[in-house]
Amino acid sequence: MQALTNSTNFQSQVGVGSRSTPPLLEIQGLSVRLGGRTILDRLDTTVTGRIVGLLGPNGAGKTTLVRTLMGFFPPAAGNASVLGRSLATDSRTVCSIIGYMPEDDAYISGMSAVRFVRMMGELSGLPPDAALERTHDALTFVGMGESRYRKVGSFSTGMKQMVKLAQALVHGPQLLLLDEPTNGLDPVARHRMLDLIMDIGREGQTGILLSSHLLGDVEAVCDEVMILKDGRLAGQVDLASEHQSARVFVDLETLPPSPQFGRTLERLGCSVDVRGDGRFRVELPAHLDVRSIFAAAADEDLALRRLERTRDSLQDIFLRAMEGDHGRS
Amino acid sequence: MVVRDRGWRAWDGPVTPTSRRFLVLTRFALKDVFESRVFLAFYILCLLPSAAAVLAIYFSHNTQFLEQFGGLDSWFAKAPDWIFLHLFGWQAMPAFLVAVIVTPPLIAADVGNNALGVILARAISRREYVLGKAAVVFLLLSPITWIPGLLTFSLQALLGGGQWTIDNIRIAVAFFVGHLVWIVVVTTLCLAVSAWIRLAAFSRGALLAIFIISAVVGRLVNGVTRSSIGDLLHLSRAIESVVLRFFGAVPPSALPSPANWLTLAAVVLGGLWVLNIKLRAVQEIR
Repeated sequence: MQALTNSTNFQSQVGVGSRSTPPLLEIQGLSVRLGGRTILDRLDTTVTGRIVGLLGPNGAGKTTLVRTLMGFFPPAAGNASVLGRSLATDSRTVCSIIGYMPEDDAYISGMSAVRFVRMMGELSGLPPDAALERTHDALTFVGMGESRYRKVGSFSTGMKQMVKLAQALVHGPQLLLLDEPTNGLDPVARHRMLDLIMDIGREGQTGILLSSHLLGDVEAVCDEVMILKDGRLAGQVDLASEHQSARVFVDLETLPPSPQFGRTLERLGCSVDVRGDGRFRVELPAHLDVRSIFAAAADEDLALRRLERTRDSLQDIFLRAMEGDHGRS
Repeated sequence: MVVRDRGWRAWDGPVTPTSRRFLVLTRFALKDVFESRVFLAFYILCLLPSAAAVLAIYFSHNTQFLEQFGGLDSWFAKAPDWIFLHLFGWQAMPAFLVAVIVTPPLIAADVGNNALGVILARAISRREYVLGKAAVVFLLLSPITWIPGLLTFSLQALLGGGQWTIDNIRIAVAFFVGHLVWIVVVTTLCLAVSAWIRLAAFSRGALLAIFIISAVVGRLVNGVTRSSIGDLLHLSRAIESVVLRFFGAVPPSALPSPANWLTLAAVVLGGLWVLNIKLRAVQEIR
C-alpha cells in the first residue's frame, strides 16, 4: 500500500460539476497537421457543459480532435487544456483523467471481457483488487452478464461496444471521450448506449465529450454542442439553455407564395428565416402571438397554407453552421 | 453471489505510481504465456542443459563415487572446462526458441484489433509499452540463460576453490554479459518483427528466416569477395564472435570485434526504428 498514492485530493480539485472547477475543455489556436494536410485549423473554444456533443460531417476533424486530446497527435500550433490541465505540459495527467472509447474496434480478442477491462483498469492505476472490483461494477453497469467471462473476440458488435465503454469507465475518469459510441448498433442497443451515457452524465462526476455525426444521438444526451466544419469551429450551442428558452418558432407557408410577407413579419418585430418561395421560419417576439401572423396575412390578402409551432432543432442549428463560412475554403 | 448496484461512481481511492504501470503488461503477459501446458513443458526442458551442467560439475568434484562406473571419473574430471565452453550455446539456442514462441503473440494480440489505442490512451508511453513487453522476454530468458550459468559457475567456484575462481572470473562475466547481449538482440529483433508482421505464425517464420538468410547471404558474400566482410551480415556469427571473445576463445569471425558489435548494434537500432514506426496508438494515413 505504500507504493500507492492517494488521488482523493486530485479528484476533489478537478471533479466535474462543481462551480469552482475549470472548464471541461479550453482550446486555444489548436492546429493539427497530418500527412501534410491541416486537419484542425486554429481551433479556439472553451467548453463548460457536462455532456458535450462534438458534431460535424465526415472529415470535419472530430476524431482528430479527440485523438489530439488523448495525446496521439502533436499539435502543430496552439494548445488545449482538459479540466485545467495543459496537454503541452501535463499530458500524462490528462491521460490519467480521461477515459477513451475509440471509434474502431479496440480489444484483445483472446482475453475475456473481465480480464481485458481489469488490465485496462490496472494500467490506469487501479490497484489489482480494486481493478477487479471495479471491472465487475463497470461490466454490470453496461449490462454485461455472465458473458463477461467469454473472450471478447466472440462478442457481437453491440457487446464489443459495451466492453469498450466499460474499459473507458473502469478507472473512474473525470472526462469520458466517446468517439461514435453508437456505431454499428441496432436501435435497441443504440438506445441503451445513449441511456448509459446519460446515466454517467447525471452522476455528475464525469464530463463527457461525445463525438458523433448522428444529430439525434447528440440532441438526445448533450447539453452543449460544438460543431466542426473543415477543422474549424462552425458553431457552439448551449442546448440546455436553448431548450429551456421561451423562444417560439413558427413554420408557415403562404398561398399564394409571397416573398414580401417575410418583410411584413420583420416589421412586426419577428426574426424571419426565408426557407423557400413563400415558406418561412419565424421567431415570435414575446409581445406577439400567432394571431398577429393571421392578422398580417389577412391584411395582405394572403391565405396561410401551413402554420406550425416548432422549436429550433439541432438539425436547424447544424445546417445553419454548415451553410456558414466558418470552415476552410 | 455478489449483488452489485447498477450505478456509476467515480474512483477516489489510491492509484499506483505511473512509473510502474508498464509492469501490468508484463504480469498479464506472463500469466498468458504459462497458461499453455505445452509451453510450460518446453520451458522446463530448456532448463535441462543447465541442470545437466550442474550435475556434471558436482560429479567432477566427486570422482570417488564415479570410480565404480569405470572410466567415467576421468571424463568428469575434465568436465568443467568442456562444460563452460559449451553451456552458453546449449542455453542460447533454447532461449532463442522461447523468444520466437513467446514474443509474436505479445504484440500481435494488441495490434490485431487496435487494443494498442486504448492501452496508450492510459498514462503509459510507447517506450514503457515496449519495456513492458521486453520485460516478459527478459524474465523468461533469464532463468534459462545467465542465472543458471552463474549458478553453475558459483558451484564450480565453491568446489574448485578460490584460486580457480580468480583465474576464471571472466567466465562469469562472459555468461552474464554475453547472455545479456544475446537477450537484448533477440528481444529487439523478435518485438520488431512481430510489430511489423502482426500475424504470430508468420512472425515466427520470419524470425527463423532472418537468422538463416543472414547466414547464407553472409557466407555468399564471403565466398564472392574472398574476405570476411560478409560476416557483417551474418547475425549468428556476430553474436557467437562477441560472446566467445568474452570467454577468451577464438571467435569464428575474422572481422575485428568492433565490426561484430556494429552488426549487433545495427540489428538493435533497426529493431527500435521499426518499433517506433509500427507501434502507434493510431496509424497516421498519408
